[in-house]
This record gives sequence, C-alpha cells and structure tokens, in this order.
Amino acid sequence: MTYLIRRLEFFAITLWAALTMNFIIPRVMPGSPAEAMLVRFHGRASPQTIRTIEIALGFHTDESLLQQYGEYLWNMAHLNLGTSLTFFPSSVGKAIMVGLPWTVGLVGLSTVIAFVLGTLVGMLSAWRRGGILDGALPTVFIMVSAFPYFWIALVAILIFSFTLNWFPLGFGYDLHQHIELSWDFIGNAIWHGFLPALTIVITSIGGWILTMRNTMITTLAEDYVKMARAKGLSPVRIMFMYAGRNAILPNLTGFAMSLGFVISGAILVEIVFNYPGLGYMLLQAVNNEDFALMQGLFLLITVAVLVAVLLADFLTALLDPRTRAAD
Amino acid sequence: MLLLTACGGSSPAANVQRQAGGTVTIDNESGTTWTCDFNPYNGAVNFLSFGTVYEPLVYDNLLTDKKTPYLASAYSWSSDNKTLTVTIRSGVQWSDGQPFSADDVLFSFQLLKKNSSLDLQSAWSLLSDVQEQGTDKIVFTFQSAAVPDFYQVAAQTPIVPKHIWSTLSDPTAAVPKPVGTGPFTMSDCTPQNIKYLKNPTYWQKGLPYIQEVDYPAFTDNDPANQFLAAGNADWGGQFIPNIQTYYLNKDKTHNHYWFPPIDNINIWINQTRPLLSDKAVRQAMAFGIDRSKVSQNGEYGYEPAGNQTGVLTPTFSSWVDQSQLNKYGYKFDPNKAAQVLQAAGYTKGSDGIYADSSGKRLSFDIISISGYTDWTASLQVVAQNLKSMGIEIKEHDLNQNDYANDLYTGNYQLAYGSLSTSPGPSPFYELRNTLDSQTTADIGQIAGGDYERYKNPSVDALFDQFAASTDSAKQHQLMSQIQKSMLEDVPVIPVTEGVAWYEYSTKSIGGWPTQSDPFSAPAPWNLPDWGVTLIHLYKTS
Repeated sequence: MTYLIRRLEFFAITLWAALTMNFIIPRVMPGSPAEAMLVRFHGRASPQTIRTIEIALGFHTDESLLQQYGEYLWNMAHLNLGTSLTFFPSSVGKAIMVGLPWTVGLVGLSTVIAFVLGTLVGMLSAWRRGGILDGALPTVFIMVSAFPYFWIALVAILIFSFTLNWFPLGFGYDLHQHIELSWDFIGNAIWHGFLPALTIVITSIGGWILTMRNTMITTLAEDYVKMARAKGLSPVRIMFMYAGRNAILPNLTGFAMSLGFVISGAILVEIVFNYPGLGYMLLQAVNNEDFALMQGLFLLITVAVLVAVLLADFLTALLDPRTRAAD
Repeated sequence: MLLLTACGGSSPAANVQRQAGGTVTIDNESGTTWTCDFNPYNGAVNFLSFGTVYEPLVYDNLLTDKKTPYLASAYSWSSDNKTLTVTIRSGVQWSDGQPFSADDVLFSFQLLKKNSSLDLQSAWSLLSDVQEQGTDKIVFTFQSAAVPDFYQVAAQTPIVPKHIWSTLSDPTAAVPKPVGTGPFTMSDCTPQNIKYLKNPTYWQKGLPYIQEVDYPAFTDNDPANQFLAAGNADWGGQFIPNIQTYYLNKDKTHNHYWFPPIDNINIWINQTRPLLSDKAVRQAMAFGIDRSKVSQNGEYGYEPAGNQTGVLTPTFSSWVDQSQLNKYGYKFDPNKAAQVLQAAGYTKGSDGIYADSSGKRLSFDIISISGYTDWTASLQVVAQNLKSMGIEIKEHDLNQNDYANDLYTGNYQLAYGSLSTSPGPSPFYELRNTLDSQTTADIGQIAGGDYERYKNPSVDALFDQFAASTDSAKQHQLMSQIQKSMLEDVPVIPVTEGVAWYEYSTKSIGGWPTQSDPFSAPAPWNLPDWGVTLIHLYKTS
C-alpha cells in the first residue's frame, strides 16, 4: 500500500509542477499572443480589439501574476483551455478534440501492436537462441528501424497507393464520409489507417524486440527458471509465466512512456499521409506562437505520460510481488 | 464617369449549351484541417467562402483590371472622384430565399466600421461615409479622390445578409452555416473536406454548370501534390517541384499549368540604417544581383525574374516605361556595380568587401522566413553575386511572426519577401504600398506598407494624383514618373515575381482560364476570382 500511496503523491506533485511550468513558460517567452495577433491584422486592430483578443486568449495583462495563476489553475481544472490563435475563433478544446481520436486510434493502436508483437518475437527468439527466428527477425527489424520513417512511408505510398492503388493516398477516411459509428465508416477508417500504421509498426518494433530479447536471455539463466524446468513444467508455461513475466517488467515503464507520448502524435506520419492528428497541430502551434494551443497540447501530453506511468506502476505492483512485499 | 449595366464581360457565353452536373475537386495546401468556419471577414478562413458563397459589389479581375458588375448593377464616380454611387442589383436572392437589397450592403459596411478587426481591406481607412440613397442606391464618400480604392471597397469586400448578421451577438465568431448570394452553397463540412453544391436560385441564370465542388484539406504540399498527380483532383493551387515530370507527364493530353505573376518578391532596404541610406549602395546592389539566375536556381524558373521598375511583367507590361528601364539598365553587371561604389567613395578592403572612408564595411543581415526553402536557395544566389562584387550579406531565418514583426516595425537591415497586403489589378496598388510614405510608420511602429521607410513627398504626390484620375493616358504618364523613383532611388530591389500557382486537368472539366483567355486570376486562393472561375467550368465527360 505504501508503494501505491508514494506513487500517487509523486503523481500529484509532478502534475502540479508541470501545470506551473506550463503557465510560466509562455509568459517568459519573447513576444505575446496579442502581438502575434496584431501582426496578423497588419496593425489595423484598434486597442479595444486587442484587449478583447487578449481576454479571449486568456491573457489579462492588468491582473497580477498571482491572480492570473489562480485563474489559470481554475480554468485547467474545468478543462477550459482558452481560444486558439491558429484556429481562431475556435476554442483549444474543440481544436484538440478534432485531432485526438485519430491520433489515439492510429498511433495508440500501432504502438500497442508494435509492443505486443515485438515482445513476443523478442521472447521467442531468446527462447530459441541461435535458431532461425533469432537469426532473422531481430536483425531485419533492427535494420529497418534504422531507416528514416518518412522514407519508408514514402516508398509505401509510392508502391501500394500510387502504383498498385491498393490503399488510398492519405486522409483518415473517405472524403465524402461522415464520422459515425457504423461498420462502413470503421472499415473505411481502418483501410485508410492501414499503411500509416504498418509503417509505424515496422519502424518501431525493432527496439521492443531487442530489449525483450536481452532481458529474456538474462532471465532464462535465473535459478527459478532452471527450477521450473527441473519440475518438468511445460515449456510454454515456463516461457510465459516464469521467464516472460519477469523479463517484461523493465519494458513496462518504457511502454507506458511511449503510450503517453502517443498524444504528441507522429508529426511525420501525419505529414506524409495527410492524416488528421495532433502532431501537426503541435508543430503549427509552435510556428504560430499559439500559446493557448501549445499549453493545451503540452498539458494533455504531460497528463497522458503521468497517467500512463502511474498505471505502469500499478501493473508492476500486480505482476511483481517484490514491490508489494516492500511494505 | 463610368456606367455599366448588363452583366456581360466576365460571364461565360450564355448561348453555348453546356450540360449541367459534374464535380470539381480542388487541391490546395491550406496547412490546417478545416475548422468549418465560413466567416468571410476572418482573414484565416475567408478563402473558403468569399467568391463562392459571398460576393462583392463588382468583380475586378486581378490580372486584367476588367470590371464586371456583380451585386451592383451599375456605378458612377462624382466629378471630383470622391463619391461613388452604386446601384444595387434587383432580383437577387440570398440562399435562404430572402431578397437581397441595398440595406444588406449598407449593413455590411457599417458592420466593418463598428468592428475594425473584420475590416480586412481597411475600407474605413479610405471611406468617410456610406449612405443609402432611395431604395436601390448606396453612396460611398471617400476621404480623398480615390479611383483605385474602388478595388478594396467594391471588389474585395464581401456582402453579408443583414437579416442574419444583425442577430449575431459576436460577428467575429465562427459562421458554420453561411448564407450568401453566390453561385454555390456550403452543403457539408468535416475536418477533412468541404462540399459545396450549386445554388439553384443563383442570380446569373443558368449558372453554375457544375453541380458540386469538393475542397479537401491538405496540411502539407507533398500529399497535396500526390493527390493532384494521381488524377484525384482537377484544380491545383500550389508549388510543384519539377512540374514537367511530376505532373504534366502523368497525363500529357489533359494536365496543364499557368503561373501568372501577381506580386514582387523584393529585397526591402531599410532606408534609416547607415550605409543603406546611401543611394549608391542600393544602386550597386541592384546591378550586382543576377535576377534570372535567382529565378532559375531558387524558383525552378517558375517565378520569373523581376525588374527594377517594380511593374510586373508580363501581367502589367503595358504599364512598363521601357525607355527609362533601358536607360538605367540594371541588367546584371558587377563591373558597373563596382564603378557606382567607387564613384561614391567606397574602397575595396583586403577581404574583398567594400568599405566607406571611415572603414565601415558593406556587410548586412537579411531576414527571411524559416522553412521557405526556395527563398533560402534564392538568397544563396544573391549572397554569392554580391560577395563576388564586394558586398556581404548574411541570411537570418525567423519564424513567421517574428519575421512579420521585424519587417513591419522596421527592425531589420535587409529583408526578403513580398508585401503582406493583397496585390491589385494594376501596378498602382503594389507600388503605392511599397513607396508611399503615407502607408508607413515610424521605426518601432507597425507599418501597413513602405516597410523600407522610403520618404519622398514628390512621389507621395504622384500617387495622390493617380488616385484622383480616371484618365488612362494620365495614369500611365504618372506611373512612368513613379517608376523613375524606383530606378533612381532603388528603395527596394524586386528580385523575382511571385505567381499565382495554378494547375488544371481538362480530363473531365472544361472552361479553365488560360493565358490567352485570362477571365479570372486562376489560383483557387485568388479571392473572389475562384468563384468566377468555378462558374465558367463545365463537365466534358
């Protein structure tokens, strides 16, 4: 229990620190959103207009920093993220909600697939060390992950979309479709997401294979594995329940981190496949000095990473009795 | 006095029987997914509604300056060219069935007066009053004689329905369901695509021929170019590297392009900075840049070389004072550049760079926008040219906002880029915003134009005289004098000419604007021209 409470305390403190940083950084950066807006209007906006915009963007320059900070925390607690400059007059929340499902769907799913597949392959190749599987797969995938992502994506588009016409040229779903919960739409979205997901999986799987294989090899040399063999347990049971269960522990936190970072999207995927998502939005927010949108996205990323790490900690406690025994 | 009545000119030939139907797909990199906001007074999204859904009083062709009455059926200037009386077209309907009237026009302009941030064309920096006269006339009173300002007021300001907009609590807010008078209505919008449908009650009877327009969102150039090259779209509006192999060769009979110049890409020279305030230095730089090589190396030759008069060719060729241009030359000539500097007392140092008598080197920083790789390639040529001649320039890439802020407030030595204000249908607009010191501001203040802070009262007066005249011969003569100041004083150096990117496929759609029939500025982002282009298009198969 102490372990879990400690984790929760750590979570709360980190979250507060991240929120505060998120508040301070845009305010110490050069330039202000109002200035950026003024430039957009070529200096034609009246002081009255600028005031309105500043307030809309969540900047009350006449209030003290402490007051602003209080208001900011209040707004964050109510998920009121302000108005985006890039998507003016849309709110940040609305802008993020447009991209979020696509990013979570595509990058999230392919991260999970890459992790599960990579872990399985790593486990198997360590189990049969020196076998055919161990000779071929890790080598191939590690080589592939060394290729630049966009190169693989471009080649995939050129072959499968442009030449063979098997998959569409970009977009998240058919241009004339509406987002709805129907098999027709889901099938269409999967068809559009297949190539981007495939390229993410084959470029990221190598890392998971390598780390899993290496920890698995060390674990296989442990006494309790030898003991299990001596007891005459089935190889499958030993592989999953004895060696695999222990070998996966160090990988869990890494996986949780990468799940958290899913929110930041995959900028290159989105650019190459013209896929609607948050990665490109973040890039735009930075380019346009869109502080509200940046704050909103950073907040989301921070919270997602923290929550994912917290969940991984819980999972570790579940899988590894030693953490619980520390109480 | 000008009087136009019938809707002729720019309307497609009505006697030709074209079959109705067909879909046009537009391919234009917009940088964002759609927010489904169709507020025509929001500069970030007005390109999605002004021209198709909302219309101006008069359509003024950006390339030819040919004026076609739209929501105004006629207009006339007072004898002192300060008052414009516009007759409102009868029989026009909003797309929700309500009748269009002079009240809507009056309301639209009052709305802009009340909300200056909506006034994208700064109409109220030109106007002093707008009044309704009778039931079908609107009288615009300008602050001074303002014949060219007709463009901003009558041709670039969209008219919105009073019965809807007067009920909006915040006119800057998003407009998800636009109601306009234009040839198309917005029928459906998702973050990925906007679908427009033919307006069945459009006032130009029988138009448009096209049933549907699709406008997918592209966040980046590459996927947009692929989509176009694969034949999924009919109408493109962006830069394509190596267009011959990438686009034309994909379908040699149907794929075409035309890139007409619409503005200058200049080196802005801050006149308030030491050394750069010396005319000789500026002239030497104008002689020292190989503009055609910049065009070839930096812009694949798609953006043609500029000329020192600042008048775009071939778009406005009839305005160029060729004899003066020939007299000054400004052909690439490093020897001539060296002569100019030496005559002004500069001597070449041991490092190959000229310096003045007190030893100050001719070494300058030039600001550009990061990510604009074509500009970087162009500036590399410029820097090489000038270095071999004896002037050093160093490129500094800034993000868009910082660049704009430095450029407008005069916080730079040299800057590369074009005017931020939209170009106009004659050289007057760009040159006034480039040279007229009434458009500038003090260093540190945001200037609407004349970023280089050039101050010449006699040139300012030329623009005022031009604005007060409707006589073409007199305007040409004044434009010659304006060109003289560009040639003699070199306030800015036009290096290349920015173009309207325009690619089109005749596979299933016909009626496109071409160089020989430039009935509209052809890029999908030319406003409101794209609406005019669309009513000319028809299905061929």
